[in-house]
Amino acid sequence: MIGYVTGRSPLHRAHPYTTLALAGAVLLAAFAMTEPRTVWLLVLAAAALAAVGGVLRSSVRTALLLSLPIWALLFVLYALLGADPRVAFGPLSLSSPGIARALVLGGRVTAIVLSFLTALATTSPHRLVEAMTARGVPFGRTFLLASTLTILPRMRERAAQILEAQQCRGLRLGGSVLARLRALGPLALPLILGALAEVDEQVLALDVRGAAAGARRTAVDPPPDSQIQRALRWSLLLLVTAAYAWKFWSMRG
Amino acid sequence: MTPRVSLVGVTFTYPGADRAALAGVTLDIGAGEIVVVAGAAGAGASTLLLVATGLAPRLVGGTLAGQRAIGARRCGIVFARPWTQLTGLCSTVRDEVAFGPASYGLPRETVLAAAERAMQRLGIAHLAARDPAHLSGGELQRVVVASALALEPDLLALDDPAAELDPEAADALYAMLPQLGRAGTAILIATPDLGRATAVATRAVQLEQGRIVRDGSPAEVEA
Amino acid sequence: MTLRDLVLVRLGVAINLVIGQIVVALLLPIYLDSVGTILVAALVGPRAAITAGLVSQVLSAVISGNFSWLPFAVVQIVIALYASVVARLGAFRRLWTAVAAGIGLGLVAASCSAPISYFLFGGVTAGGVTVVTTVLRALGAPLGVAVASASYATDLLDKAIACGLVCVILRGLPRTLAARFPVLAR
Repeated sequence: MIGYVTGRSPLHRAHPYTTLALAGAVLLAAFAMTEPRTVWLLVLAAAALAAVGGVLRSSVRTALLLSLPIWALLFVLYALLGADPRVAFGPLSLSSPGIARALVLGGRVTAIVLSFLTALATTSPHRLVEAMTARGVPFGRTFLLASTLTILPRMRERAAQILEAQQCRGLRLGGSVLARLRALGPLALPLILGALAEVDEQVLALDVRGAAAGARRTAVDPPPDSQIQRALRWSLLLLVTAAYAWKFWSMRG
Repeated sequence: MTPRVSLVGVTFTYPGADRAALAGVTLDIGAGEIVVVAGAAGAGASTLLLVATGLAPRLVGGTLAGQRAIGARRCGIVFARPWTQLTGLCSTVRDEVAFGPASYGLPRETVLAAAERAMQRLGIAHLAARDPAHLSGGELQRVVVASALALEPDLLALDDPAAELDPEAADALYAMLPQLGRAGTAILIATPDLGRATAVATRAVQLEQGRIVRDGSPAEVEA
Repeated sequence: MTLRDLVLVRLGVAINLVIGQIVVALLLPIYLDSVGTILVAALVGPRAAITAGLVSQVLSAVISGNFSWLPFAVVQIVIALYASVVARLGAFRRLWTAVAAGIGLGLVAASCSAPISYFLFGGVTAGGVTVVTTVLRALGAPLGVAVASASYATDLLDKAIACGLVCVILRGLPRTLAARFPVLAR
């Protein structure tokens, strides 16, 4: 399950920037870690975050599902086709360094996906928009991030309607690759041209409601922040910097 | 009293167009007037709304000749399709209606009060906590009109506002306009729905190929 | 950016995210997830196109849950810049020049994505590209070569078709709508 899940956990009540900072820290730290031990500590940290958010089961399940193809490919690419020395694992002969590498790469992806799924599940889009507005983030940025997600379902619906309509007019979806490529035009063109034709009206509607007024927008429902949370966000930045400093220092040594 | 908008010999041509969408239009709209702009498709009614509110050529490009003076402090516009007019940023009707006042950086209490007033006017206060994405076309159009009214425009342009509404919702929308007019808002309505529009209008203007061919009482245009 | 540019960027992002639906229905071995970025580059310019690319990358991660792909945002910037340059040079005026530009874009994009895939993900990003990588590796190719070859093969085809599609879109714009984009007139 991908998306916001209503709740009252500490993560739900936290300032959206804090939750996103935690996920961001996991993302950055993941690429600083090169040993299976440290990467999997990070995975545990991401799981702990999900537990705090009250979304451990759903996030872990979804993260595993999403990373499953990656794990399968990692197994083939590194464990099976990796360099010597090899270890016997039942009937299989697996590459020892390959296994270590697969654990690092797979662990990275799992940690990142898990932490962001948790952030997504515990950050209400509305609160995020209000948090950004309260911080004076320019209208354009909040508009692009939030508004695009809102128009997607209608655009998908329109794409499905065009598909149906064109099929009624005799368009075939099967056949050779060339035939299918030719079908791309009649499906994509009406969707995109139709959307372009609406741009003027959308711009006019936004303009008269002050979207381009240039004033600092008033946040109607700003989520509360705290000193502790601000300190936490700064600490995360320091931790990530320390992780990279350690990585480069140990590479030199 | 200064007219809300004064046009003298205005000609407007869209970018890339062969002929002018408006040709030599002279028109004054005063406070409290409800003017229906009638005309066949392509006659220039929608364009007149854009020019009168100052949105053309500023936002749509094109060239404007003649004299235009907009006395209105703030203009609002409502189009036929509610979906294209949502900001997409707001997860509740209240926030959607409050978007305008919030965009001007007004104090939070003022923003909320303006949104509440507008919602009450349109009879949608009970929808305040609802997600606009899950409303019917009729409810959504009322949200859009409320959003326009939240900024208390002196000049409100309505481009076929009831096109996607059921008869009951359309009646309710038009029935609200005389009250706005009495409060001093000048209203311009471009619509093929002359029956409803002329019932509330104080004046009617008929366009043909971008020119005003009649400017008088609503009964004249309906005839 | 003007309000109009913002609305066009939003449209570009939506196209990037939705066109995959059509591609899947047609069972084509491509993604076309940059069509919107390239279109915005041609209609508005580089800054708007970069924004469209970056926002698409973030939202794609949000929707699919695959946040490990965020580092590929760099590739979106490169696509946006390249598309803006070739659009100014008139590549989208004819279909064959658009497709040729698309092949060039595929080379450039793969040159950026292959190193990211190799160094950050060991060549494994879960998609058709990685399947090709695995097959090449199983056939004895060194990992770096396998990753690069897979990236180039998929990107060349994908970007050539994407640019061809953008050309068809631009040529299909009604005159009055096309006139609203001064960049096209130049």
